Amino acid sequence: MARRHPWIKIATALVSALWLGLAAAAAPANAAEKITVFAAASLKNALDNANAAWTKDGGAEVAASYAASSALAKQLEGGAPADIFISADLDWMDYVAKKELIKEDSRVNLLGNRIVLVAAKDKAKPVEIAKGLDLAALLGDGRLAMGEVKSVPAGKYGKAALESLGLWSSVENKIAGAESVRAALALVSRGEAPLGIVYQTDVSADPGVAIVGTFPASSHPPIIYPAALMATSSNPDARAYFDFLKSDKAKPFFEHEGFTVLK
Amino acid sequence: MNALGLSSDEWTAILLSLRVSTVAMLASLPLGILAALLLARGRFPGKSLLNGVIHLPLILPPVVTGFVLLILFGRKGPIGAFLDQHFGIVFSFRWTGAALACAVMGFPLMVRSIRLSIEAIDKRLEEAAGTLGAGPLFVFLTVTLPLALPGIIAGMILSFAKAMGEFGATITFVSNIPGETQTLSSAIYTFTQIPGGDAGALRLTMVSVVISMAALLASEALARLVGRRVEFE
Repeated sequence: MARRHPWIKIATALVSALWLGLAAAAAPANAAEKITVFAAASLKNALDNANAAWTKDGGAEVAASYAASSALAKQLEGGAPADIFISADLDWMDYVAKKELIKEDSRVNLLGNRIVLVAAKDKAKPVEIAKGLDLAALLGDGRLAMGEVKSVPAGKYGKAALESLGLWSSVENKIAGAESVRAALALVSRGEAPLGIVYQTDVSADPGVAIVGTFPASSHPPIIYPAALMATSSNPDARAYFDFLKSDKAKPFFEHEGFTVLK
Repeated sequence: MNALGLSSDEWTAILLSLRVSTVAMLASLPLGILAALLLARGRFPGKSLLNGVIHLPLILPPVVTGFVLLILFGRKGPIGAFLDQHFGIVFSFRWTGAALACAVMGFPLMVRSIRLSIEAIDKRLEEAAGTLGAGPLFVFLTVTLPLALPGIIAGMILSFAKAMGEFGATITFVSNIPGETQTLSSAIYTFTQIPGGDAGALRLTMVSVVISMAALLASEALARLVGRRVEFE
């Protein structure tokens, strides 16, 4: 057929050249020198605000990836390119430290937090969280939304608190484990779960929920957010940004959401 | 029970997947046959629209389908709240919600398959049955359905396979609750999100492959069996 219609050969050649050309042009463009931060999901609002101020002050652009600290640790283990890691508990920072993924001498304990029991705003009735609280009755046939208790820091703190208050066994079968503390927050906000355990700082992020009670700080391990520079980080601006996060300039952004800035 | 090297949690996920997929397939079968019949034989205004709506879950991103289900059937959604108040049926965090999500996702595949086989039936056979005194329902049950059987079986298997593989809509609609809505796909996903979970993810992946292969082989065998009975001499 090509003999009678020579334009077919030319058309095929042109289309192939065009396609190959496009493919080559679409090859990875130079990655802009953005500072990549892997941060716990609960840091979203505070860190977004701090990053905006940093960039406005002339700092390099920051790309923040928010997820449960367990998922981030897994990604870092798999070789994800990040400059800084901020975890919501010490366990996951220890995990990546053991894999020799961080610059050990850069590691600091950055922030503190509290966990609270929340409900949808129109259904929130204050309760005192102590031994003897009938949490199962409050839940009814609904579920308690919290981070996955085996991996997500908020879930681990929540389970520890419930266990030390003797409430775990009564609600163990009524847990809705979410992939991050913010996902648990959304479940309560949407009315899918009557109650949830989230950080005190998450409540300000969602106007649809209200605090029903605060867990005594003694009922769980202290909530500490460690931060560190990644060993493979080659971005020259990363250290300056890391120092900014530790400085007094970034303090108001964290305190505004309810974090305690550790020194 | 710890059998065959799989933990009891993993067995729960496998059995839940099988249960959800089977229920989804069986529950959507009558509706699927009806829809296929309407699209194959019917002539009514809005037929293209119906066709479009039925095929939406095939084209929409699964997460979007899950989100739409959440808006409609969630505890606060119009249909969900109605069912909860009057019948006590709740889909949130229940395996029934997972089954609904899988049924919706597999529905277009089932309808397409059945519709094709109904369209392939020689109408004159149905007309002949009619001239011999059979009413339309009798014709449908004794002539149309048996002739469409290969397509119906193919549709069922496709819907079952899609349900086994369903992830996006399920996890968006009913989250990932072990024992209730943690199907095989969700369990594998959970494993990949936890450091050290790769071994578990691999184990469950192999189980998925085995189940899928078994379903495919079974469908081939069934189709051949039924095809033989439906052939003309």
